Amino acid sequence: MSVTASDAELARDALAGSEAAYRELVTRYATPAVNFIFRIVRDRALAEDLAQEGFLRVYQRLKTFDPQRKFSSWFFQVLRNITIDYLRVNRLPTSSLDELAEEGVQGAAVDRDSRSPEQLAGQSELAAAMTVALSRIRPEYREVVVLRYQEGLTQPEIAEILGLPSGTVKTYLHRARKELAGILSELGWGPGTETLSAEVP
Amino acid sequence: MDRKQLERWLAEEERGHDEAADAAFTQLFAAVPRLEPRPAFVEQAVTAAWRWRARRRRLIASGWAAASVLVAAGVLGLYLASPTLAPVFIKALAYVTGHAVPWFVAYATVAMNGWLTLLHVGGVIASALMTPARVAALVGVELFGILAFFALQRIAGAGRFGDAQV
Repeated sequence: MSVTASDAELARDALAGSEAAYRELVTRYATPAVNFIFRIVRDRALAEDLAQEGFLRVYQRLKTFDPQRKFSSWFFQVLRNITIDYLRVNRLPTSSLDELAEEGVQGAAVDRDSRSPEQLAGQSELAAAMTVALSRIRPEYREVVVLRYQEGLTQPEIAEILGLPSGTVKTYLHRARKELAGILSELGWGPGTETLSAEVP
Repeated sequence: MDRKQLERWLAEEERGHDEAADAAFTQLFAAVPRLEPRPAFVEQAVTAAWRWRARRRRLIASGWAAASVLVAAGVLGLYLASPTLAPVFIKALAYVTGHAVPWFVAYATVAMNGWLTLLHVGGVIASALMTPARVAALVGVELFGILAFFALQRIAGAGRFGDAQV
């Protein structure tokens, strides 16, 4: 197995019994998987548990993977199904922003009512504000944003994963960005808003 | 993630340049912090998969073994019991065949007679009722019915289209 083996090759080798190939596949997708699920369930431990279940399900169903398809599309589809199945049975956990911060999401505890734009100064604060904004948009928008801008999937790939028309994905992305812009503006990151980032030494 | 990237993205959104806004947001979003799974995450996932694989292989092997034992036992049992079972089986088969075939022939004859009678009655009624004028009237009614059916289909289709537009 070469270092630069494609996902499909790794999947094929894993199916043939190569533990190293499967390990490489898990290593490649561990972070995207946990992040994708975390953006939906907003609970780090649960996200990791569901991701573990997702990897096991992927392994169990490797035979059904069509190498003509992109592995990441198939993989995220499996993850999404597991997450939705879980949410159908259990209530959607509603973590507070403080809990998000405890879970390790930097700046997640930023509250738009308690913090001024001056406090949200600097690059890390903008990233934190973006994280908060992301947690506030509609779940279906959050999914497409994470898949598009975090995982770098194309609109047709996202459409395939979510079972939506490509046009709907485009609309969701457009609306999601609008909502994010609105929330960022509320957090003090609107157009023309001055922050202390330039002033803080 | 810096202020300039944010400003660029917001400006593109304001201008309504969807593709440019998409590209600007991609750059901006790249700096959003990502959760890193626990260090043991990969090892746990691999272990879980390989445990499942071993369990499944054991299960399949056990299944094959059980099926082989059952088949062997069945064959052996049949072989040992064949001197007793064979005459009984042949007698039973002969009995069933001897009774079933005459019954089937009788049933088929009765059913056939029924259909032939029905056909005859239908023919008599048809020849009594059908005159050229009546046939013409009947064809006319059929044609009218077909036209009405198509008209209704068109109306229903237009209704569905209206719903979709709403």
